[in-house]
Amino acid sequence: MDQVFSLQSEARDGCVIITTMGYINNVGGEAIAAECRTYFAGGVKNVILNLGQSKVVNSIGMSYIIEVLEQVQELGGRLVFTNLDGPVEKMLAIMGLFTFAGKEATVADALAVCAREAVDQGRK
Amino acid sequence: MPEPIALHLLLPRVPDIELVAIEGLEKLAHHLGLAAQKVGEAKLIVAEAVTNALEHAGGDRPSVRVEFTVTTDEICIFVQDNGNGFDPAGVQDPELTGKLHAPSKRGWGLKIMKSLSDDFRIESGAQGTTIIIRKLLS
Repeated sequence: MDQVFSLQSEARDGCVIITTMGYINNVGGEAIAAECRTYFAGGVKNVILNLGQSKVVNSIGMSYIIEVLEQVQELGGRLVFTNLDGPVEKMLAIMGLFTFAGKEATVADALAVCAREAVDQGRK
Repeated sequence: MPEPIALHLLLPRVPDIELVAIEGLEKLAHHLGLAAQKVGEAKLIVAEAVTNALEHAGGDRPSVRVEFTVTTDEICIFVQDNGNGFDPAGVQDPELTGKLHAPSKRGWGLKIMKSLSDDFRIESGAQGTTIIIRKLLS
Protein backbone atom coordinates (compact mmCIF):
# COMPACT_ATOMS: atom_id res chain seq x y z
CA MET A 1 0.00 0.00 0.00
CA ASP A 2 1.68 3.20 -1.16
CA GLN A 3 0.05 6.06 0.72
CA VAL A 4 2.78 8.70 0.52
CA PHE A 5 1.12 11.95 -0.51
CA SER A 6 2.14 13.86 -3.61
CA LEU A 7 0.37 16.08 -6.10
CA GLN A 8 0.69 17.31 -9.64
CA SER A 9 -0.92 20.45 -11.02
CA GLU A 10 -1.43 22.16 -14.33
CA ALA A 11 -3.47 25.09 -15.58
CA ARG A 12 -5.75 24.45 -18.53
CA ASP A 13 -8.61 26.50 -19.96
CA GLY A 14 -8.87 28.77 -16.92
CA CYS A 15 -8.86 25.85 -14.48
CA VAL A 16 -6.19 24.39 -12.26
CA ILE A 17 -6.22 20.60 -12.38
CA ILE A 18 -4.77 19.09 -9.23
CA THR A 19 -4.13 15.37 -9.24
CA THR A 20 -3.32 13.83 -5.88
CA MET A 21 -1.67 10.55 -5.03
CA GLY A 22 -1.76 8.87 -1.62
CA TYR A 23 -3.21 9.70 1.78
CA ILE A 24 -4.74 13.15 2.21
CA ASN A 25 -4.35 14.14 5.85
CA ASN A 26 -3.47 17.56 7.27
CA VAL A 27 -0.19 17.65 5.34
CA GLY A 28 -1.79 16.68 2.04
CA GLY A 29 -4.75 19.00 2.55
CA GLU A 30 -2.49 21.92 3.34
CA ALA A 31 -0.39 21.20 0.24
CA ILE A 32 -3.52 21.23 -1.95
CA ALA A 33 -4.69 24.51 -0.42
CA ALA A 34 -1.25 26.10 -0.90
CA GLU A 35 -1.11 24.95 -4.52
CA CYS A 36 -4.55 26.45 -5.15
CA ARG A 37 -3.55 29.76 -3.57
CA THR A 38 -0.62 30.01 -6.00
CA TYR A 39 -2.94 29.54 -8.99
CA PHE A 40 -5.56 31.91 -7.55
CA ALA A 41 -2.86 34.59 -7.30
CA GLY A 42 -2.21 34.03 -11.00
CA GLY A 43 -5.86 34.64 -11.92
CA VAL A 44 -7.23 31.09 -12.02
CA LYS A 45 -10.60 30.71 -10.30
CA ASN A 46 -11.76 27.15 -11.08
CA VAL A 47 -10.32 24.07 -9.36
CA ILE A 48 -10.60 20.51 -10.65
CA LEU A 49 -9.51 18.07 -7.97
CA ASN A 50 -8.72 14.60 -9.27
CA LEU A 51 -8.69 12.33 -6.19
CA GLY A 52 -8.68 9.07 -8.13
CA GLN A 53 -5.38 7.94 -6.67
CA SER A 54 -6.24 8.95 -3.10
CA LYS A 55 -8.24 6.06 -1.64
CA VAL A 56 -7.75 7.17 1.97
CA VAL A 57 -8.46 10.69 3.18
CA ASN A 58 -9.28 12.10 6.59
CA SER A 59 -11.56 14.93 7.61
CA ILE A 60 -8.66 17.14 8.68
CA GLY A 61 -7.34 16.94 5.13
CA MET A 62 -10.82 17.66 3.79
CA SER A 63 -11.12 20.69 6.08
CA TYR A 64 -8.45 22.30 3.89
CA ILE A 65 -10.60 21.52 0.85
CA ILE A 66 -13.43 23.45 2.54
CA GLU A 67 -10.99 26.37 2.71
CA VAL A 68 -10.36 25.97 -1.05
CA LEU A 69 -14.12 25.89 -1.66
CA GLU A 70 -14.51 29.10 0.33
CA GLN A 71 -11.84 30.82 -1.78
CA VAL A 72 -13.32 29.53 -5.05
CA GLN A 73 -16.72 30.93 -4.03
CA GLU A 74 -15.18 34.30 -3.22
CA LEU A 75 -13.58 34.36 -6.69
CA GLY A 76 -16.84 33.38 -8.39
CA GLY A 77 -15.30 30.14 -9.61
CA ARG A 78 -16.07 26.47 -9.22
CA LEU A 79 -14.63 23.43 -7.44
CA VAL A 80 -15.17 20.07 -9.15
CA PHE A 81 -14.08 16.68 -7.82
CA THR A 82 -13.28 13.93 -10.30
CA ASN A 83 -12.39 10.23 -10.42
CA LEU A 84 -13.69 9.68 -6.89
CA ASP A 85 -13.31 6.29 -5.26
CA GLY A 86 -16.69 5.11 -3.91
CA PRO A 87 -15.93 5.39 -0.18
CA VAL A 88 -14.29 8.81 -0.57
CA GLU A 89 -17.29 10.03 -2.55
CA LYS A 90 -19.57 8.82 0.26
CA MET A 91 -17.49 10.67 2.86
CA LEU A 92 -17.56 13.91 0.88
CA ALA A 93 -21.34 13.52 0.54
CA ILE A 94 -21.65 13.10 4.32
CA MET A 95 -19.74 16.37 4.71
CA GLY A 96 -22.18 18.03 2.32
CA LEU A 97 -19.49 19.07 -0.12
CA PHE A 98 -21.54 18.29 -3.23
CA THR A 99 -24.03 20.96 -2.19
CA PHE A 100 -21.47 23.56 -3.22
CA ALA A 101 -18.95 21.64 -5.32
CA GLY A 102 -19.40 19.54 -8.42
CA LYS A 103 -18.38 15.96 -9.13
CA GLU A 104 -17.65 14.48 -12.50
CA ALA A 105 -16.39 11.10 -13.63
CA THR A 106 -13.26 12.43 -15.33
CA VAL A 107 -11.12 15.55 -15.62
CA ALA A 108 -12.28 15.93 -19.25
CA ASP A 109 -15.91 15.99 -18.04
CA ALA A 110 -15.04 18.62 -15.43
CA LEU A 111 -13.26 20.79 -18.00
CA ALA A 112 -16.33 20.59 -20.21
CA VAL A 113 -18.56 21.72 -17.32
CA CYS A 114 -16.29 24.67 -16.54
CA ALA A 115 -16.16 25.63 -20.24
CA ARG A 116 -19.99 25.54 -20.49
CA GLU A 117 -20.29 27.72 -17.39
CA ALA A 118 -17.77 30.21 -18.81
CA VAL A 119 -19.88 30.47 -21.97
CA ASP A 120 -23.07 30.90 -19.91
CA GLN A 121 -21.45 33.63 -17.79
CA GLY A 122 -20.28 35.36 -20.98
CA ARG A 123 -23.89 35.49 -22.21
CA LYS A 124 -25.16 37.12 -19.02
CA MET B 1 -20.99 -17.93 12.22
CA PRO B 2 -17.72 -17.58 10.31
CA GLU B 3 -14.55 -17.86 12.37
CA PRO B 4 -13.34 -14.32 13.21
CA ILE B 5 -9.78 -13.19 12.71
CA ALA B 6 -8.39 -10.44 14.88
CA LEU B 7 -5.59 -7.91 14.93
CA HIS B 8 -4.48 -6.00 18.03
CA LEU B 9 -2.21 -2.97 17.79
CA LEU B 10 -0.77 -0.42 20.17
CA LEU B 11 0.04 2.69 18.16
CA PRO B 12 2.34 5.46 19.43
CA ARG B 13 1.76 9.08 18.45
CA VAL B 14 3.86 9.13 15.29
CA PRO B 15 2.86 10.97 12.09
CA ASP B 16 0.70 8.84 9.76
CA ILE B 17 0.75 5.85 12.14
CA GLU B 18 -2.96 5.37 11.37
CA LEU B 19 -1.78 3.98 8.03
CA VAL B 20 -0.34 0.99 9.89
CA ALA B 21 -3.81 0.20 11.24
CA ILE B 22 -5.38 0.75 7.83
CA GLU B 23 -2.88 -1.56 6.18
CA GLY B 24 -3.51 -4.20 8.84
CA LEU B 25 -7.25 -4.04 8.21
CA GLU B 26 -6.63 -4.21 4.47
CA LYS B 27 -4.59 -7.41 4.92
CA LEU B 28 -7.36 -9.07 6.96
CA ALA B 29 -9.99 -8.01 4.43
CA HIS B 30 -7.93 -9.29 1.51
CA HIS B 31 -7.40 -12.60 3.30
CA LEU B 32 -11.18 -12.99 3.70
CA GLY B 33 -11.98 -11.69 0.20
CA LEU B 34 -14.21 -8.85 1.46
CA ALA B 35 -15.97 -6.35 -0.82
CA ALA B 36 -13.81 -3.31 -1.68
CA GLN B 37 -16.51 -0.66 -1.11
CA LYS B 38 -17.28 -1.74 2.47
CA VAL B 39 -13.61 -2.21 3.31
CA GLY B 40 -12.85 1.21 1.82
CA GLU B 41 -15.47 2.76 4.08
CA ALA B 42 -14.05 0.89 7.09
CA LYS B 43 -10.59 2.25 6.24
CA LEU B 44 -11.96 5.81 6.31
CA ILE B 45 -13.55 5.10 9.70
CA VAL B 46 -10.19 3.86 11.00
CA ALA B 47 -8.41 6.95 9.65
CA GLU B 48 -10.86 9.17 11.56
CA ALA B 49 -10.92 7.12 14.75
CA VAL B 50 -7.16 6.71 15.10
CA THR B 51 -6.37 10.31 14.12
CA ASN B 52 -8.89 11.60 16.69
CA ALA B 53 -7.72 9.23 19.39
CA LEU B 54 -4.04 10.06 18.92
CA GLU B 55 -4.82 13.75 19.01
CA HIS B 56 -6.49 13.35 22.39
CA ALA B 57 -4.27 10.63 23.88
CA GLY B 58 -2.46 11.69 27.03
CA GLY B 59 0.33 10.70 29.38
CA ASP B 60 4.09 10.69 28.88
CA ARG B 61 3.83 8.28 25.98
CA PRO B 62 0.55 8.96 24.16
CA SER B 63 -0.70 5.84 22.46
CA VAL B 64 -3.87 4.27 21.15
CA ARG B 65 -5.13 0.70 21.30
CA VAL B 66 -6.70 -0.53 18.09
CA GLU B 67 -8.40 -3.88 17.63
CA PHE B 68 -10.07 -5.33 14.57
CA THR B 69 -12.24 -8.42 14.61
CA VAL B 70 -13.23 -9.41 11.11
CA THR B 71 -15.46 -12.09 9.61
CA THR B 72 -17.01 -12.37 6.18
CA ASP B 73 -20.13 -10.77 7.71
CA GLU B 74 -18.76 -7.78 9.60
CA ILE B 75 -15.81 -5.68 10.67
CA CYS B 76 -15.62 -4.64 14.32
CA ILE B 77 -13.32 -1.74 15.14
CA PHE B 78 -12.23 -0.89 18.67
CA VAL B 79 -10.17 2.25 19.30
CA GLN B 80 -9.19 3.39 22.79
CA ASP B 81 -7.13 6.37 23.94
CA ASN B 82 -5.93 7.35 27.41
CA GLY B 83 -6.82 11.04 27.15
CA ASN B 84 -8.97 13.16 29.43
CA GLY B 85 -12.24 12.23 27.76
CA PHE B 86 -15.08 14.47 26.67
CA ASP B 87 -18.87 14.61 26.68
CA PRO B 88 -19.99 13.05 23.39
CA ALA B 89 -23.52 14.38 23.94
CA GLY B 90 -22.08 17.88 23.87
CA VAL B 91 -20.74 17.47 20.36
CA GLN B 92 -23.13 18.70 17.67
CA ASP B 93 -23.00 17.28 14.15
CA PRO B 94 -21.34 19.89 11.94
CA GLU B 95 -22.95 21.30 8.79
CA LEU B 96 -20.95 22.61 5.85
CA THR B 97 -22.84 25.90 5.80
CA GLY B 98 -21.66 26.49 9.35
CA LYS B 99 -18.06 25.67 8.48
CA LEU B 100 -17.77 27.90 5.41
CA HIS B 101 -16.22 31.21 6.52
CA ALA B 102 -15.79 29.87 10.07
CA PRO B 103 -12.31 30.06 11.61
CA SER B 104 -12.19 26.26 12.13
CA LYS B 105 -13.30 23.92 9.37
CA ARG B 106 -12.65 20.85 11.52
CA GLY B 107 -14.87 18.71 13.77
CA TRP B 108 -16.21 16.15 11.27
CA GLY B 109 -14.75 12.97 12.76
CA LEU B 110 -17.69 11.74 14.85
CA LYS B 111 -20.25 12.51 12.14
CA ILE B 112 -18.25 10.63 9.52
CA MET B 113 -17.65 7.61 11.77
CA LYS B 114 -21.33 7.43 12.74
CA SER B 115 -22.53 7.85 9.17
CA LEU B 116 -20.22 5.19 7.74
CA SER B 117 -20.90 2.59 10.43
CA ASP B 118 -23.85 0.32 11.19
CA ASP B 119 -23.40 0.52 14.94
CA PHE B 120 -21.43 3.22 16.73
CA ARG B 121 -20.77 3.34 20.45
CA ILE B 122 -18.62 5.76 22.37
CA GLU B 123 -17.70 5.71 26.04
CA SER B 124 -15.70 8.56 27.45
CA GLY B 125 -14.47 9.44 30.91
CA ALA B 126 -11.49 10.73 32.84
CA GLN B 127 -9.50 7.61 31.92
CA GLY B 128 -9.97 8.07 28.19
CA THR B 129 -12.31 7.39 25.32
CA THR B 130 -13.31 4.11 23.71
CA ILE B 131 -15.03 3.85 20.36
CA ILE B 132 -16.60 0.59 19.22
CA ILE B 133 -17.84 0.41 15.65
CA ARG B 134 -19.55 -2.36 13.73
CA LYS B 135 -19.60 -2.35 9.96
CA LEU B 136 -21.80 -4.94 8.28
CA LEU B 137 -20.54 -6.35 5.02
CA SER B 138 -23.75 -7.65 3.50
